[in-house]
Amino acid sequence: MRKLAQHSRHHSPRHLPFVRKISSVGLAAFCVLLAGCDNGASTVARSSQPVSGGTLIYATDREPICLDPHVGGDMPQVFVAQQYLDSLVSMDSEGRIGPWLAKSWEVSANGLDYTFHLRNDVHFTDGTPFNAAAVKANLDHMANPKTQSSTAGGYIRQYLGTDLPDEYTAVVHLSTPYAAFLEVLAQGFLGIESPTALLRPRDTNCESPVGSGPFKVVRWDRQSQVELVRNPDYNWAPPTAKHQGPAWLDRIVWKFIAEPSVRFASLQAGEVDVIEALPPESHEAARRNPDLSLIIAPRPGNPTNGALNITRAPFNDLRVREAFVRSSDVEGALKSVYFNEFPRAGGPLSSATRFYSADFEHAQDYDQARAAKLLDDAGWTQRDAEGYRTKDGKRLQVHVVMGNRTPPSEYTLWEQVQATTRLAGIQTIIDQMSDVQATQRQADWDYDIRLGYWNTNSADVLRIIFGSGFIRPAGVGGYHQNTAGFSDPTFDSLVQQALETQDPEQRRALYYKAQQIASSQYLELTTYPQSTRLGIYKTTQGVRVEPSLAVTYLYDAWVNK
Amino acid sequence: MSELTLDASQLNVRAQRKPRSLRLGVWLAGTFLLLLIVAALAPQLFAHSDPLAIVPRDAFHAPGWGHWFGTDQSGRDIFSRVIYGTRQSLLIGLAATALAMGIAIVLGLTGGLGGRRTDRGVGWVLEILFAFPSLVLALLFVAIFGSGIGPLIIATGLGSAPGYARMVRGQVLAVRNSGYIEAARALGHPPLRIIGRQLLPNAMRPLIVTLTMGVGQAIVWASALSFLGLGAPPPAPEWGTMLSMGRDFVANAWWLTFFPGLFIVLTTLSTTVVGRYLQQRLEGRLS
Amino acid sequence: MSSATLGNPLLNPPRHQRLKHLARRASLRLAGGILVLWAVATLTFFALRLMPGDPVLAILGGPSGNPTAETIAEATREYGLDKPLAVQYGLYLVRLVQGDLGVSYSQHLPVTRVLAEQSGPTLELTITALLLAWLMVLALTVLTAGRRRWLGRLASLAETVAAALPHFWLGILLLAVFAFGLRLFPPAGSDGWRTLVLPSVALAIPLAGFIAQVTRESLELTLEQPFVLTARTRGLSDFAVRFRHALRHAVLPGISLSGWAIGSLISGAVVIEVIFSRKGLGRQLYQAVQAQDLPLTIGISLVVAAVYVLANILIDLLYLWVDPRQQEAQA
Repeated sequence: MRKLAQHSRHHSPRHLPFVRKISSVGLAAFCVLLAGCDNGASTVARSSQPVSGGTLIYATDREPICLDPHVGGDMPQVFVAQQYLDSLVSMDSEGRIGPWLAKSWEVSANGLDYTFHLRNDVHFTDGTPFNAAAVKANLDHMANPKTQSSTAGGYIRQYLGTDLPDEYTAVVHLSTPYAAFLEVLAQGFLGIESPTALLRPRDTNCESPVGSGPFKVVRWDRQSQVELVRNPDYNWAPPTAKHQGPAWLDRIVWKFIAEPSVRFASLQAGEVDVIEALPPESHEAARRNPDLSLIIAPRPGNPTNGALNITRAPFNDLRVREAFVRSSDVEGALKSVYFNEFPRAGGPLSSATRFYSADFEHAQDYDQARAAKLLDDAGWTQRDAEGYRTKDGKRLQVHVVMGNRTPPSEYTLWEQVQATTRLAGIQTIIDQMSDVQATQRQADWDYDIRLGYWNTNSADVLRIIFGSGFIRPAGVGGYHQNTAGFSDPTFDSLVQQALETQDPEQRRALYYKAQQIASSQYLELTTYPQSTRLGIYKTTQGVRVEPSLAVTYLYDAWVNK
Repeated sequence: MSELTLDASQLNVRAQRKPRSLRLGVWLAGTFLLLLIVAALAPQLFAHSDPLAIVPRDAFHAPGWGHWFGTDQSGRDIFSRVIYGTRQSLLIGLAATALAMGIAIVLGLTGGLGGRRTDRGVGWVLEILFAFPSLVLALLFVAIFGSGIGPLIIATGLGSAPGYARMVRGQVLAVRNSGYIEAARALGHPPLRIIGRQLLPNAMRPLIVTLTMGVGQAIVWASALSFLGLGAPPPAPEWGTMLSMGRDFVANAWWLTFFPGLFIVLTTLSTTVVGRYLQQRLEGRLS
Repeated sequence: MSSATLGNPLLNPPRHQRLKHLARRASLRLAGGILVLWAVATLTFFALRLMPGDPVLAILGGPSGNPTAETIAEATREYGLDKPLAVQYGLYLVRLVQGDLGVSYSQHLPVTRVLAEQSGPTLELTITALLLAWLMVLALTVLTAGRRRWLGRLASLAETVAAALPHFWLGILLLAVFAFGLRLFPPAGSDGWRTLVLPSVALAIPLAGFIAQVTRESLELTLEQPFVLTARTRGLSDFAVRFRHALRHAVLPGISLSGWAIGSLISGAVVIEVIFSRKGLGRQLYQAVQAQDLPLTIGISLVVAAVYVLANILIDLLYLWVDPRQQEAQA
């Protein structure tokens, strides 16, 4: 089930910030002196009926590297793509796959052939009609190494090719059964672009991609914003949308404001209408502000975590792994660093993922006594002068490899992990380095803990991050998705079987066992689930998050300014 | 010289008595610097908490009796961190200035004492270093050699070196033909001894002022680099790093950024005031 | 400079001779400037190559890119990263001469295009800050120099404090008070004059403090000159004396500082653009360094160095033109 609102947690009273005290006195004086103090929109009435027209200003923290989500495949890309691309199928909040650009489909008995019957009334914003050839062009594009597609290409490794028996039927062939295929097709990462546009050079397509969606990209002002305008011909919204036909908004201005405090201040001042990645320190202020509303939606997939490298000491010993996890006070850190706004994620899947089981939430609870016992059992009984445990003269050391673009709050969380694991006698060292060096260390398996997360709408993520097939380096660069280095034939067979059947109950049982194994092996220290947190100003309504990846969906939104 | 224009030496320069308030300023600045040095050498005298001790439940306390400057996001006492940060910042500032001076002396002596060719060559090197604004030069250096306290010191030193080098060279040129040098040469003293005993000290004396103020400048630059995340890495209690870590919370907890920054300003102010005072003393303007 | 010196033919050669002299110096300086830039480009190229880590991974979207084998091989070939170092350098120089600065790794755009897009806001910011600074300097020094002692000392104190303020701290404070607290100005953005106010004020105040100190000292000295007394006895108002006569002389040291001021403004712009989330070369350089984007870092550094060198040459020439005594001393 998806949670759309967080419970409000009790906070210790916060002191009125210094500047607020000044502002209440000074603002009156200043307002007299300066015209234009009123930022407008102070007497906006919320309308219950959608209003056609207007510009919505959206501010997010990260700029995508390329607007085409086939290339690379990072979260900022799919957020923009969701507004101008449609997908073959849709996914609702229960996890069921529904139609979109494909009206219906059949899966062959052996699970290797998917026949899609496509809509015949769709066209892209450059005039190209949508048909089976377009589907083929897109899937080929994602699988093509020249596209440098990490995410979409990675999801369709099993793709062999597409046949086109007639104009609106596409038959996709896979090399092995892949029950998660429809799930990944519902993601914005695999959105359908115009085949004519795909023929252009990759960098041109990165800058001005063409889709069939409710909006179209007009301009990308680097470091500043992306401008989108309404697609007036749009008439093929998915069943999960709230209306049909063209979007309400005339225009979207998609801004990039990296600083969290600046982003939130822009929202409060009404300079932007919606912000994403609402900073946790501002949640309370946002709730108290009658001009703002919030949407907090957890994302499916593997929560934010530190993956433990089990291929080398000290984490090649399960007891040490569990001891490390047990001696980290993540709950305490979440209370202070993230202002108690993020819940603890204790298991390998986030609660928003299909086939998630809550039975594993407490496997990682803070328990120093248990940690101590485990370490004693594992032979780390000696202590050195500084209080760290030693065995055979070697100190119990753990290296956390962190890139320099890790947000400060994340760093602070791990600082607190450092402090609490110290009580158990473990020396946690945080190695900060440039992102490129961090990736190199990852490729060389020269780390004990590496931070990560993986947002996807399928429990198949377990196969990607814990399956033995993903230990081998992805290529010359050496990056490997299986950061823990876990390799277990039972586990591999479980997740493979889960792909071979379409029966949800069977899959649920298989994924339950897979989660059990992953949890009991203490392969990750999971901290908090990834989430989409939107702050919405009173001028804007109808903003939603789409059900598959919890990505912002502005098709049903309208503004009243 | 026309009768309508006089230069400073001819003017009856206001050899007024130093007004009392400015004297007070110098005293305050000097005391502050002294306290800073003491804090750098023995922080335990002022700070009562461990600057690195994490106490999550004490996070974000506003300034008050228990914590004079408040606490940060991990519950660490900011006053203690600022005091311990003095050692870091002062060390970096002094080391960077010393390095800059070292480079400047080498370059300046080579240019000032060598023939025209060497002087041109040194001029070239200086031109190249001067082609960059100082922070850009420091950024490039840190980009190549990574971040951390070592590269930070070198980067900051490199940024200030060209300016000092030019001054040293100018001074060396001015001093090398003066009377006492001639006398020493005539007496047959070995050149190195002349350089070490007479030339260098006399050339450097006017630069003491610049150096004093330069330490303040170096601390600011080093803090700027740390602020950008390219200097002393967290959880170091370096002032710039503290500013950078507290920046996200400026709307909720202004004290994380205010106090470290305040100390940077006070340090720079003090070095400037003391430096100016020294300058005036050296130029004999004080009666 | 005074009217007496202007009349003396020995100290003031005829106009066309001065022009020729100036032109020769200008071309010498320019040639020197180009050589300096070449040395700069070479140094930065080789130095950045020494950076640890594989640039290919930086190109492919950083840590969340998850690239595959073929993807990485493609990128290596595409960016020519598999050729020997000397060959890469040679190719680089050839392209540089043709005006091609390469393609940015992190933005997949030609560097020249990034420069074109990002230079505008930075230029806007630095020029506004410089003008604002000079405005503050003129206002403060003209109104307070040489008057009542306490006024002068107060102003002097204000200038010293202003010069001691670090850009990043001042920027954050202004942001917190005026943008977050009082909501008078937008906290981010690069369009419209309202987004320009706080960043340029943050840059202008420390610079104004510095220049004001020098100008004040110079102005106070100038006001004591006999020619000023003469002007006063001729019946000129105090304001006219200060502004029209004394200021022109007093401002010279300030102008000579302008070269350094531009450098300081560019350095400050890096930090200010980051704090105020403004488009510009400063923030772009910082991000390029973080992303280990070699072509972009070199491109921006070269442009910045070129502008800086050019500006310094122009200011030196301007100074030479304005003050022929300088020419004489150097000849």
